[in-house]
Amino acid sequence: MNTNLKISNVTKIYPGCVANDNVSLEFNSGKIYALLGENGAGKSTLVKILSGVIIPDEGKIYLNENNLKLNSPLDAKKNDIGMVFQHFNLFETLSVFENLIIDSDEQRESVREKIDAIMKKYNFSIDLDIPVLNLSAGQKQKVEIIRCLIRSPKVLIMDEPTSVLTEQETSELFLSLKKFSEEGILIIYITHKLKEVMQLCDEVAVMRRGKLVSVSEIKNENIESLANKMVGQNLKTIKKKKAKTSSDQLIKITNLNFTSEDPFETNLTDINFSVNRGECLGIAGISGNGQSELFQVLSGEIISEKNSIEFNNNYIGDLSPQERREYLMAFSPEDRLEQAAIPQMKIFENVALNNFKSSNFFNNGLINENKIKEHSKKIISDFNVNTDNIELKSQFLSGGNLQKLIIGRELITSPDLLICFNPTWGLDVGAINYIHETLIKINEQNKSIILISTDTDELLKLSDKISVIHKGKLSKIMNSEEVTSEKLGILMGGAN
Amino acid sequence: MIIDINFIGLIIASIMASAVPLILASCGELITERSGVLNLGVEGMMIIGAISGFALMTVTGSLIIAIFGAMLAGVLISTIFAFLTQTLITNHVATGLALTIFGIGISAMIGKNFVGIPGKEFPVLFQGLKDTIPLLGPILFGHSIVFYFAFALPFITSYFLKKTKIGLIVRAVGDSPESASNQGINVRLVRYACILYGGAMSGLAGAYLSMIYTPQWIENMTGGRGWIALALVVFSTWNPIKILIGAMIFGGLTIIQFHMQAIGVRIPVQFLTALPYIVTIIVLVVISRDSRKIRLSTPSSLGKSFHKDN
Repeated sequence: MNTNLKISNVTKIYPGCVANDNVSLEFNSGKIYALLGENGAGKSTLVKILSGVIIPDEGKIYLNENNLKLNSPLDAKKNDIGMVFQHFNLFETLSVFENLIIDSDEQRESVREKIDAIMKKYNFSIDLDIPVLNLSAGQKQKVEIIRCLIRSPKVLIMDEPTSVLTEQETSELFLSLKKFSEEGILIIYITHKLKEVMQLCDEVAVMRRGKLVSVSEIKNENIESLANKMVGQNLKTIKKKKAKTSSDQLIKITNLNFTSEDPFETNLTDINFSVNRGECLGIAGISGNGQSELFQVLSGEIISEKNSIEFNNNYIGDLSPQERREYLMAFSPEDRLEQAAIPQMKIFENVALNNFKSSNFFNNGLINENKIKEHSKKIISDFNVNTDNIELKSQFLSGGNLQKLIIGRELITSPDLLICFNPTWGLDVGAINYIHETLIKINEQNKSIILISTDTDELLKLSDKISVIHKGKLSKIMNSEEVTSEKLGILMGGAN
Repeated sequence: MIIDINFIGLIIASIMASAVPLILASCGELITERSGVLNLGVEGMMIIGAISGFALMTVTGSLIIAIFGAMLAGVLISTIFAFLTQTLITNHVATGLALTIFGIGISAMIGKNFVGIPGKEFPVLFQGLKDTIPLLGPILFGHSIVFYFAFALPFITSYFLKKTKIGLIVRAVGDSPESASNQGINVRLVRYACILYGGAMSGLAGAYLSMIYTPQWIENMTGGRGWIALALVVFSTWNPIKILIGAMIFGGLTIIQFHMQAIGVRIPVQFLTALPYIVTIIVLVVISRDSRKIRLSTPSSLGKSFHKDN
């Protein structure tokens, strides 16, 4: 049976922002649709309207010519619209099975049979009786998908589903989605990742600042054309000039080891490398191969042997992050809201957290608020953070703006070395470009960068030298001109 | 010295009787907390239940009206808490403390006219069987209906949370109100219901004190039992069966230290009085050490306001 979903003149206005401006779209089953846009373009608002979480100010939604009244998530479910949110809607302390039956009126046994049948059909294997908090992100997503499939939906909406998945899990997801589509489920795929759109979808609708910009078939598009539509201007292609080869060594890591007691952490074995001034060393690898531990050892969150890290002719292996900052190191951790900033604190308070001695942010234990605010304003304008309110709580900044703020904060000391861990994770194209430009500028000022990243394109673009980390061991360090993404892929898989 | 075996039975029975109000109030509060609401007003709700039960019994003469009236009084006062925290989104802790202060004050005011009035005898069940079995007879038989209900309640609560659909929904709301709301569960309704249920159980606990345990009205007669009930919920890691254990230890030590004082054991009285509090907490901490289980039974959203935005 054919399913036809029509969104007609939908408008949703929030104070100070038009999230959806008169959006009309039509979808038919048998195809996979991409809804593409930067963070804050209004995609999430639109799908929340489709799933009944948000009620639009104006506009109508038709499913097979029937006008739907979607006043609550329950209405969407009743009308066979299934939705997998970007942030999982699971109950962590309940078992998988309990999560799946909570919204079902059927008998436990019959639901269990249904779930077993679905898992068999799509090759999912999940233990139904363990609590959800023991599952990996990919498994959690499968639970969400099963929850939708139990109701045999006509429409399945996926909101940024790959942001938490590994590459392996992503390709498994794509296979499943294609299968669902063949079986007649209409699939709407929300993302800002262009590659995925090209790989998976048949048609693409691009949104920008709440408006629908274009609807087209994938075969008529390519990554550049989509990127330009998404950002609304022609993106500059960033290219790094080849750095002058300097032989002035800044940091040297010798025989660094780390053994963890936590079975979920990776041990680091015999790490050796050095970085010269003005250089960017990229460290590639599939996530979970020791990157997080390496970052923590370098930043001082994990203390190591004094002599294992030599920075600017000082041995600093046993120093805390605070003390390392005094030696002009700076850090940008992976998890922006958990590690780099405190979400409930205001922007200027987060700026002060860096707490560098010579910053004059504190006088005799008192906070020098004017000084901090002045500096925060400077960061906001210098680094293009899209707000003028430094009293705003950081949790309300988009990922891109928050990352710009963090990098800006870290550069206050004009550090000799910046260590970044997945700095563009989850950001949209515009913000990624900006961060990349900033990092290149740092190198041009003869400052150094250690860039730990799972994004090989990013590494190839920015690094002068590249190494690959696999199971806590570092490969030999290569000049980036000699490296291709294929070669990196092989090393990341553990081959020599 | 010959110790009558039935005397031991009587001591155990008195320990169990002193545990009854703790079990009732704790099991009620446990349901409230499992839905993510922290109601620190247990002491206040209990004392309101105590005075309401005693006053209704004196005025109407009906024990049934008095018992259900006390539960209703608990429901009414907890409705204030529910309205403030769920509809007006006030802070759980501050509102709960205010509720306790309010309850103690208003109960003293109403209670003025009831001081010194003797209570009524509350009927007991199976009185005739009391002497048929040695030791077990006095333990099992000859208690009020509320007593039997209290000892069934932890098991009922456990079954309700684990096996029923509504219990599952309560746990889900306590785990993540946002997800529950997105699943179409009416979070506010669930939380209202759980708060009101907690109020009813606290009211019943209070009525047990003023009508059955010590049938009379004394100002401030709950004497901190509401706070102990709250502590039991937390230290039992939201497990109804462990609440039963904790309440028995607390009741037991309270009774035994009385006897020790009576015999004249040469330990400072202050220490003996403090003993039940210390030992109960130590025991519960020791039996609830498994951090994984704590994580699984702790309501993640406890004490956090949920505001559905649109």
